Amino acid sequence: MNGIIFNIQHYTIHDGPGIRTELFMKGCALRCPWCSNPEGQSSRIQPGVYQSKCISDSVCGLCRTVCPQEGALLFADGKLTAIDRAKCTGCMACADACPADAIKPWGREISVEEAMREIRRDKGYYDRSGGGVTVSGGEPLQQAGFVEELLRACKEEGIHTCCESTLNVPWEKVEQILPWTDLFITDIKHMDSAVHKDFSGGGNERIIENQKKLVRTGKDIIARIPVIPGVNDDAANIEATADYILEDLEGKVRTLQLLSFMRLGEEKYRSLGMPYGMADLKIDRPEFQAHVSEIADYFNSRGIHCLVGTREKEES
Amino acid sequence: MINQTVHTNARGLEPFDQVYSLGYEVGHGDWSPFPRVNRLRQTFLDRPFNIDIERFRNVTEAYQVYEREPVKLRCAKAFESILMNATLYIYDEDLILGEIAAPAKASPQYPEFSVNWMLYEALYEPFEEREHDQFYFVSEEDRQEFIELCKWWQGKAVDDQVDAYLDDDQLKGSQSGKKIFQTNLYHYGGVGHYVMNYEKILRVGFAGMAAEAKAGMARLSKKDPDYAEKKVFYEAVIICHEAAIKYIQRYAKLAEEMAADCTDPARKQELEQMAANCRQVAGGPAKTFWQALQLFNFATTLTQIESNGHSVSYGRMDQWLYPYYEADMQSGEITKDFAQELLEVTYVKMNNPTKIRDGGTAKVRQGRGFGGECLTIGGVDRDGNDATNDLTMMLLDASVHTRMMCPWLLVRMHENTPYELKVKTVECIRAGYGHPKIFNDAPTIAAQMSKGMPLEEARDYAIVGCVEPNSPGREYGWHDGSYINTVKFMEMVLNGGRCLDCGPHCARWEKCGALGKALGPDTGSLETYQSFDEVLESVDKQFDYWVDQMCSTMNIVDRAHRDRKPLPYASAFFDGCLEDGVDVTAGGTVYNGIGPQASGLATCADSLAVIKQLVFDEKRFTGAQLLQAVKDNWEGHEILYALVNSSKVHHFGNDDDYADELFRFMFECYCRHLSGRPTIRGGEFTPGVYSVSANVGMGLNTNASLDGRKAGEAISDNMGPVHTRVGSHDICGPIAVAHSVSKVDHSLATNGTLLNMKFPQDAVAGVEGRDNLVSFIDEYLSGDPMHIQFNIMSSETMRAAQKHPEHYKDMLVRVAGYSAYFVELGKALQEDLINRTELSF
Repeated sequence: MNGIIFNIQHYTIHDGPGIRTELFMKGCALRCPWCSNPEGQSSRIQPGVYQSKCISDSVCGLCRTVCPQEGALLFADGKLTAIDRAKCTGCMACADACPADAIKPWGREISVEEAMREIRRDKGYYDRSGGGVTVSGGEPLQQAGFVEELLRACKEEGIHTCCESTLNVPWEKVEQILPWTDLFITDIKHMDSAVHKDFSGGGNERIIENQKKLVRTGKDIIARIPVIPGVNDDAANIEATADYILEDLEGKVRTLQLLSFMRLGEEKYRSLGMPYGMADLKIDRPEFQAHVSEIADYFNSRGIHCLVGTREKEES
Repeated sequence: MINQTVHTNARGLEPFDQVYSLGYEVGHGDWSPFPRVNRLRQTFLDRPFNIDIERFRNVTEAYQVYEREPVKLRCAKAFESILMNATLYIYDEDLILGEIAAPAKASPQYPEFSVNWMLYEALYEPFEEREHDQFYFVSEEDRQEFIELCKWWQGKAVDDQVDAYLDDDQLKGSQSGKKIFQTNLYHYGGVGHYVMNYEKILRVGFAGMAAEAKAGMARLSKKDPDYAEKKVFYEAVIICHEAAIKYIQRYAKLAEEMAADCTDPARKQELEQMAANCRQVAGGPAKTFWQALQLFNFATTLTQIESNGHSVSYGRMDQWLYPYYEADMQSGEITKDFAQELLEVTYVKMNNPTKIRDGGTAKVRQGRGFGGECLTIGGVDRDGNDATNDLTMMLLDASVHTRMMCPWLLVRMHENTPYELKVKTVECIRAGYGHPKIFNDAPTIAAQMSKGMPLEEARDYAIVGCVEPNSPGREYGWHDGSYINTVKFMEMVLNGGRCLDCGPHCARWEKCGALGKALGPDTGSLETYQSFDEVLESVDKQFDYWVDQMCSTMNIVDRAHRDRKPLPYASAFFDGCLEDGVDVTAGGTVYNGIGPQASGLATCADSLAVIKQLVFDEKRFTGAQLLQAVKDNWEGHEILYALVNSSKVHHFGNDDDYADELFRFMFECYCRHLSGRPTIRGGEFTPGVYSVSANVGMGLNTNASLDGRKAGEAISDNMGPVHTRVGSHDICGPIAVAHSVSKVDHSLATNGTLLNMKFPQDAVAGVEGRDNLVSFIDEYLSGDPMHIQFNIMSSETMRAAQKHPEHYKDMLVRVAGYSAYFVELGKALQEDLINRTELSF
């Protein structure tokens, strides 16, 4: 079976324990404006434009020669600046032709066996470090069949597995990978479904239901809050989140990680011709980090093991 | 987890998992718990780099007086004269005595090796006006005297003899020609690059050394045809070692005088103890830990007074020093705290020796320290058991407490290295000051055995300089003997034996191109090769030709050292010399190799990948088109230039067999051509694959290359992947680099291999970051590479240091086998360091 990924990252150390290989799966139903992987949102393979790498239309022009759609490639001052997404068929001929990596193919098809060949190379590093494989995205469970096969193949070879999911999918999809998944990482973005829907395009009911069910399976869970100023960092939401973790999730969260808002992925938005929803947000970084630390202190005071960042252990 | 299985009770001053800092911190100068150490460190940093002409004056006078003596006696008597006339310095708060016959941080001169460049630069290219590596005369009188002294030496130095022997084929490839290989270091300076037998000197003392020489002389027979030469050798050794005794007694006397005048009772006591230490080790063995460090420092600085050869390395200090530590701790003679303070004072002191290099050498080998003082700890003992002890940990503590260029600390690792030692090593690494580096026992022991050593001896290796494996007290290996720019002779492969820019502008044009000749043999060109195999054959032939030129040159240089500057003082520290009456420069010890190193292998591998892929596999371009592109320095070939720098072409360092195989071809080709060639001292050449910082200087002299490098850009560093102005060619992270690098058999490179990695600080943050780095190192080493070292330093920090050097005076960066103060490096090298791939995660 094949899946569509937009990246395989080796020596990733942020999504799960130890040294890991991470597969980023394409496609997600939510549209959170702070998303740092906008190339993971669409389930289709898309060309991304990196203008600074373009040699120039007049000297090179190979992309234009091969593009089947008249006027799909947009140039300014002789450099490729954007792609008219309405005209683009996603054939990727331009990316294949570009000699300069100025058109990056966001996404490629990969078979389970091909992915496993890449994964196996680093097995020694997983074994030494207590690491393994993480599937992320996008929303990996939109390709649950592929993920199921991949994680099963990993387990058959003794590799630790982790799935980072919004859980914004039918429960059956979660069930499908359950036997082959050692650890889940999932977000708690906001406790108020209306607010949740407002910014991410989807309510939180299904997510919450799935998280509750997941807790009951006894699987290890790392929960994350992307702390976004003015969105979910107010005392009321934080308190509601703590209540939710302690009551609905029975406190069964291995670690709660607070991911402070970072201006990440802006250049990827640009490459895709997508507006960056957080462009206007200005924050005082030290002040904000202090605020996030206070939130962590609050969770810890409620008996929830909480750290800022993607760590699970306190420095001694 | 695998990495937590072996444990040790050995402990340093601080817990093994003490967290120090993450990366460089501006304005932090008190890392040591000992205020004395922090003050000594700051005093060192604030001192200027002066030129001190006292040794120059003394050695010249002695050579004039003893001009008619046999050369060994002349050298010995000059050594004695320097020691008897040197001004002695005892600095405030210091606990260990002995400099290199010059004030701390001032550079003495060694005209025995070369003066032509000294004279030229003093007259026309002042040392104080260099872009980097500046040195300063203290007065105009000194400058004038320096110039006059130089004149007397012209024609008498080592380099004069070398120059007289070189033929044009050797010259054209050398630093005097097109710089395909550069033998600068030993052409113009002393050799060094050894580990003296410290265990022995601590045990027998200088009197013991002299006695051994006397016994050797007594054994001599006039039936021996070499009787006269050997007799002179023994006499010279005796003169040197008896001079050492008198020199140390001078220090004792000075310390006694200062103690008598000292009003501070604590300092008075220290001075008295130092005087007593000197009295003891002047002729006798070391009886305490403090005396052992004192004798170590005299033995080392004296060899640096005899010759300015650098990379005089300290061997396995945690092993040879341990008996003195153990005895003093058991008897209560010393506290662990004071032992630690002494180690740290010794570390700071190791930085004092400095050396002016000729301008040409300084370009490729930057840094004003003597350099190369590798200190080896950890590893297995002669029986194969883990050798970690308290000193192993304390020497790491001392390193992170001082954070200076010296010593170049190195941790040997093997499959049973204790978890505690690994964690402490990583804690030091992530403190971001560029030490320590890590060596891997298995391939290194294999490399030593291939030199003919028995297993037990091979296990006792120490590293010299950057990465050169050495058998202490038994190997005079001429490590770092020459640098070979493989990218430069790749030009001959592409272009029928000619440089890519062959033309009348070349200084050699009248002797070469104008006569229809080529610089190298014509082994084909990109216009003529019919298959990729023909390209590889051509590489092989060029290697053969240029390695011939380089090795024959090295033997000429080696011969000149034997003839003009034997080393009777140092010889006593090498097995075999006193037994047989043969100087170490004449092959008196057991292992007598010469170790030149290849630079730019990845640049060549990526260039070959371009030829293979684009011309022969995909047939998208002709060889002629590629040749034209590099001849034009890529001007007008924008598409091809972008393509070879893009992810669409195979590059070394991405765990991609296509390119990695070509790297292996280059690596093996180089090692094959070097290994087994005889040296003039009866040993064999030993190949190394590392460039130190020479890849930057070499790049300046090299035309464009097919990997997508423009003329003048740095060639690839050490074992590392290519990074050009367009970007880094390794794009798959550190594990892919580790896999690529581990596809070659490192033990073939008996003179060492070197891999730099630059990690961002956040990748090693927290307990997880630390443990992941420990695991990474473990797994990397299991693939049998020889070496790895890390820069935990962001490009932003380096940019900030370029902007405000005054705030970053003590910021060390890992250059290659060594760390250097970033703000003291030349702009080109700074840029190279910034551009090396920062692996992101």
